[in-house]
Amino acid sequence: MSEKKKVLAFMCERSVEINETDLQNISDVGVIKFPCSGMIQPLMIEAALKAGACGVVVTGCQLGDCFYREGNKLIKERLLGERPPGLKKTVDRRRVLGLWLSKLQKSRFIDDTKEFTNFVTSLK
Amino acid sequence: MYQEILKQLNFGTLEIEKLVNKITTHKYNPFYYHGALPQFYLWVLYLSGLLLFAYYIPTVDNAYLSKNLVNAWTSVDYITKTLPFGAIFRGMHRYAGDAMVITIILHMIRVWFTDRYRQYRWVQWTSGILLFVLVLFIGQTGYYLVWDDRSLCLTRMTASALAFLPIIGQPLKHWFLNGDLISNLTMSNFLFIHIGLSFSLLSFLWIHYVRMTRPVLTPPPAINYILVALVLLVVFLYPINSGQMANLNHQPTSFDLDWFFLFPYWLMAKVSLLSYWLIMFLGVVALTIIPWFIRTKPVEAAEVVSNKCTGCSLCYRDCPWQAIEMVPAPANSRFKLLATVKPYRCTGCGVCVGACAFDAIDVPNLPDAQVLDQIKGLVSAS
Repeated sequence: MSEKKKVLAFMCERSVEINETDLQNISDVGVIKFPCSGMIQPLMIEAALKAGACGVVVTGCQLGDCFYREGNKLIKERLLGERPPGLKKTVDRRRVLGLWLSKLQKSRFIDDTKEFTNFVTSLK
Repeated sequence: MYQEILKQLNFGTLEIEKLVNKITTHKYNPFYYHGALPQFYLWVLYLSGLLLFAYYIPTVDNAYLSKNLVNAWTSVDYITKTLPFGAIFRGMHRYAGDAMVITIILHMIRVWFTDRYRQYRWVQWTSGILLFVLVLFIGQTGYYLVWDDRSLCLTRMTASALAFLPIIGQPLKHWFLNGDLISNLTMSNFLFIHIGLSFSLLSFLWIHYVRMTRPVLTPPPAINYILVALVLLVVFLYPINSGQMANLNHQPTSFDLDWFFLFPYWLMAKVSLLSYWLIMFLGVVALTIIPWFIRTKPVEAAEVVSNKCTGCSLCYRDCPWQAIEMVPAPANSRFKLLATVKPYRCTGCGVCVGACAFDAIDVPNLPDAQVLDQIKGLVSAS
């Protein structure tokens, strides 16, 4: 398990539920769970990229349906630079992916994350 | 067990919403505006009610039957038959009321299925039940106003039900009829109750919304058009007709039942008044106390790191729960303001953590430092 992860997924614990087998399926991805995607700071994304991750996947619930009312909307606006605090200008925007999926869309999460992992690892 | 059922119900709603999302996209999915739908119908009711109010005459006078008889029933008849578009506005007022009850019930079911009614949401839940009872009562008073034989029957049933209550019963009945007997004063009282309570809904709605930042009050225009179109469709398919004018000397015994508003009267006709009041009272109490029956871990409120807080008020603006208040900073601070958390409102969602560019606010069960450690651990594990 002490393998270096290339991509980090910051996930809302109420969006897609990932179990052990799924994790083995996407072995390049490390998962960190948050109570709400609104808790993810742009600073954390910067820290992850700085620490050596190739990319970051931000996964919140289906837009319009946040358990805590508007967390996913807020982080989406922050990533798009419409709401402070945003990402620094130096952050490579190709390396950040936002996914807004409900609990039922696990397969889409895995597909998109795989594709994204292939894409970010091919950069540089 | 209950948790398992709830999980399945939650999955069910997600499944339906996913399906609707495919058709409408999330921006126009009516399920994501479930609370705004009844609010929109309330505006429709206010506007159509304003027009009806302009032509409505609150009297029961039918002591003489001349050609110039003017009372509540004939004024409603005038609105329906003579006034241009009157029948449409009357129909809209009636069916928008029904639609409001339907959407309120949908709203209630959705917050129950998605588990969004308890803990820090108890104010919304309790005020919501109060609002629902009020809406039902206002709708019923609307039925009295038409003053056909159904109105007479409903009025008498209500008066006897109120009179049955101990101690407050007689005064309540006296207030309800505005005297001891049905008279012209009764009708003006009904009109006052109907309109006055409708506007008092706004103050209860304020309590309903007060703990939410940016409450969703209006669906997008596209949904509004469809909501109005649906009501108009029903208006044209099922035009409204009054029954016969109420005659105080007669005792009507049966009437068409509007299930959305008049189901309490169905119950009243089936059981004794004692059981009726018991069922009503216990039903409301049971609904109100549900949130306190489900035990969950108490929320650990977010904490401000006061020596890092710069008073920029980003968290205050973003908190969806109105849980953060900006207070003047202590005298020795370099900044003007300091964020403080109201723990009884905090949900522990961490949106404030995401809003903070200075690491100055933390959720106790997942502090920033721990997240950064996890990041480093995952990326640079050897």
